[in-house]
Amino acid sequence: MKELSAAIYAELEAIVGKENISNDPCVLQTYRCQAAHSSAHYGPYDHLTPTPRAVLLPGSTKEVQDIILACNRHGLKYKASGTFWAAHGYIGSDYAIQLDMRRMDKIEIDPLNMIAIIEPYVCGAALQAETMKHSLTCNIPGCGASCTVLGNAAGWAGSGPMSIYTGNAYECILSMEWVLPNGEIIVTGSAGSGCGWFSGDGPGPSSRAILRSAMGTAGEMGVCTHMAVKLSPWHGPAVLDSYGDAPFYRAKLPENFRAYAIGFPTWKDWADANVLLWHTGINIIGHRQFSMFGRDIKGPMLNILTDPDKQLCDLPELMQDEEMINTNESLHREVYVVLAGTSEKDMLWKEKTLEKILEQTHGWKDKFMLDPEREKWLLLYLIRMGHKNLNFVLCGAYEGHFGFGGGNPYLAGEYLEEAMALKKEWEQKDDFLAAVGGDAALTNPSSWGGGGMQGWETFACYDPHDKVSIKKTCDYFTNVSDRWMKSKGFGGCFGKSNESCRKSDGYEYTQEEHNQMFSKMPDTTPYIYQWKVREAVNPNHLGSSYYATLDPNYKG
Amino acid sequence: MIKSKLSEFKSMQERCSNCSYCKWLPLDKVKSNRFAKNCPSSTYFNFNTYSARGRFQLALALVDGELEYNDTMTQVVHSCTGCGACDVSCKICRYNLEPLEHQIAFKQDAVSSGHVLPEQLKIINSLKNQKTMLSGEVKSSRTKWAEDLKIKNVLENKADILFFPGCKYSYNTQLRGLLKCMVKIMQDAGENFGYLGEADCCCASRAWQMGFADEFTDRANSNISVIESAGIKTIVTPCADCYHGFKRLYAELGLKVEVLHFVEYLDRIISEGKLKLNNTLDITVTYHDPCHLGRQGEAYEAWNGHEKKILNQVHTWEPRRPRYNGAKGIYDAPRRVIQAIPGVKLVEMERIREYSWCCGAGSGCSETLPVYSLATASERVAEARSTNAEILVTACPWCKSNFEADGTMKVIDITELVIASLEGGVL
Repeated sequence: MKELSAAIYAELEAIVGKENISNDPCVLQTYRCQAAHSSAHYGPYDHLTPTPRAVLLPGSTKEVQDIILACNRHGLKYKASGTFWAAHGYIGSDYAIQLDMRRMDKIEIDPLNMIAIIEPYVCGAALQAETMKHSLTCNIPGCGASCTVLGNAAGWAGSGPMSIYTGNAYECILSMEWVLPNGEIIVTGSAGSGCGWFSGDGPGPSSRAILRSAMGTAGEMGVCTHMAVKLSPWHGPAVLDSYGDAPFYRAKLPENFRAYAIGFPTWKDWADANVLLWHTGINIIGHRQFSMFGRDIKGPMLNILTDPDKQLCDLPELMQDEEMINTNESLHREVYVVLAGTSEKDMLWKEKTLEKILEQTHGWKDKFMLDPEREKWLLLYLIRMGHKNLNFVLCGAYEGHFGFGGGNPYLAGEYLEEAMALKKEWEQKDDFLAAVGGDAALTNPSSWGGGGMQGWETFACYDPHDKVSIKKTCDYFTNVSDRWMKSKGFGGCFGKSNESCRKSDGYEYTQEEHNQMFSKMPDTTPYIYQWKVREAVNPNHLGSSYYATLDPNYKG
Repeated sequence: MIKSKLSEFKSMQERCSNCSYCKWLPLDKVKSNRFAKNCPSSTYFNFNTYSARGRFQLALALVDGELEYNDTMTQVVHSCTGCGACDVSCKICRYNLEPLEHQIAFKQDAVSSGHVLPEQLKIINSLKNQKTMLSGEVKSSRTKWAEDLKIKNVLENKADILFFPGCKYSYNTQLRGLLKCMVKIMQDAGENFGYLGEADCCCASRAWQMGFADEFTDRANSNISVIESAGIKTIVTPCADCYHGFKRLYAELGLKVEVLHFVEYLDRIISEGKLKLNNTLDITVTYHDPCHLGRQGEAYEAWNGHEKKILNQVHTWEPRRPRYNGAKGIYDAPRRVIQAIPGVKLVEMERIREYSWCCGAGSGCSETLPVYSLATASERVAEARSTNAEILVTACPWCKSNFEADGTMKVIDITELVIASLEGGVL
């Protein structure tokens, strides 16, 4: 394997300083992703990602630029990551370095223009806390408030429970500063013309879509070093204060905030209610969040999370409890919503509107979650999204699978029950997945601002310490969920949706492998187009294979 | 657990999910970008390696034979102050990981294989030879503080309460004066109490924090024998480290006595009307929760169980495992004491209670890695200054001395505040 020469290391060290670079094997080991968790939809593989040749902590755009220029000079690959939530933030080849962006964590807020200019390491919780001081809030990443807002917007899908109100993360992107893979710095949108950071398009060059692409660049197109994000009005206090014992932290919020768990008797009613929520725009937050635990343990898990004395070992007993059985049934087809009134009158209207929606769709407010203290917990949970490591609570690992995209909420009634029955069948047939009652499907009333877009993701929880559990989960994705999805015309399993990004051994694909893969696609145009984009800005091919390209001259 | 093997944690090392919650405050509690972080070592050294997640990953490589100890790993392991902030944040939503317990096991593994920091050996030698972890101090001067006081020796005259000052108060000439005041407060309250006389030795809980489990156990068992022979019912100590040692660690070794921090004792006698704080102090203070009184101040609960999977792959414990997540730490007693003093205004920092920022002195870091330790203290003092408080109050001598080393804010022990009110003095 090619080693990083002392001369190149010294060159990199001169850029960031001795304290901010390491090639110590201990440090390098901790910049490898155990792909069995948070693998971000390329399957639960039993491998670590490759070991970087060095880890660097750049502190400025200039340092990032100098690092990338050095990488170009020496044919050294690199990847930048902010909060390292998932595998796509890690390198995928042997001769590569890892950039850890944690020294770049500044926030600048322009309250009058309702924007924040952020650096890569700013996490959702910190940005929201700062924006609330100005009666504003940001879109919290769906993966939770621990994750970088910039990375979520530039590098990934970017929807979350608040997206219906604030817009999806990529809808919130305004001007950006990128260090391109060739080392050139580009400033997109209005800031590119020195007019301020308020707009993502014009009068400067509008490279936003190219740089970000549809699903985010996953660290491919160089390094986004600054981003202006759109903020939305926050009608609560300047500080999101809370009380209570962990994990039952509860929000201290005024009466103009309410949180409800609403349930419905049929999927048709559920879908009707989702459409009405879009149309009326009464909720700042909406999500089918706690379904992630599973249909049979949803109520018991809500009980555990709102009682500091309970633990997972209480699940079996709680699953037999009559109140919990009723809660599971009440929340079989549910949405969790937060209403925020701008005034007493506005709140009255929103409450009445919700009542009317429930009346028309035969829905109800779940009794268990109407408890005033649980409501305050729900408010805090949904507003801050500070508990998303709950994704891992049952087994230590999960992966999304199945998955229905598009704008049609009525898909659920047609397909979800069948898919979830299939999952439940496998939970009972073998023991590699957590047996949670099949349905562990999450969705937003809308993952776009204002409504009209709904995507489903179903959690499969398995044990990353148990190699059999990992292997069988992989097989299940390939042989069961992927086949079912394709048989229904939905394309592939969500858990395998990034299978073309990184191989199961944690390494990236070669261009030859990608050529073979993408030349078989019904429409090769997007891959050839992306090849051209990459050739323009990344001539030395220093990124990873998350960016899908097909060589137009390939004759395979 | 007092002593455990690193390999026993392999399942946790593999189930740590890389969510990075261990690097932040509980996210519900984040009030600003400036004070959003919780981990001293990953904040100072910056690399992920220094976080609880990094240590899980390093230890896994060690257990699997993929890595061996080197100087960096030794420093990574021992740079953890053992503050437990990562433990609280992780366990907001995880019921099957124990980051702090793992880090202590990692230190024990390093120590048992000879990978220690040079200064640690001096400290441990001092513990063995002079019965104190303050290297440079001698056993013969340990009880000088009691010379002029009419305080009984509990080994000679039976008493219900053992007053245990701990090393820092015993040797520090400035703090010794406070001990005299504490004794007077207890005498005025009519307590039947005393001290251990020449048998008074270090509690050694910092040895446990540093990974020297055998040295801790030897010292602790000796102390337990002495305490039990005296028939003590309650131990009162002003030191947060000693408090944690007696309440959690000694309890695990079998000591069955009530353990009170002096601030809990003050709170008790104030509520009973035995101590009246009449003099007004027109001052604004902020309070720092010491890690070993706060989030690690929870009482020991015996457990001898094993992992059990339910619902196919959900891992839990049988029987129910005690859940130390800081929820039942000592937070309200010191705040009640402060607010019982007329005129004192308490303003809170952003990081308080179970999610308090560490002073940087834990696990001997103030001696072994002083620059890092001071930077950690300065971070806290900066937070205290941001409240516009005039004084930073704490209830641990280690925190106090580390904050004082920063030198930019007045720092006092909570007892000094009480004494000032009692005596009408000036702070």
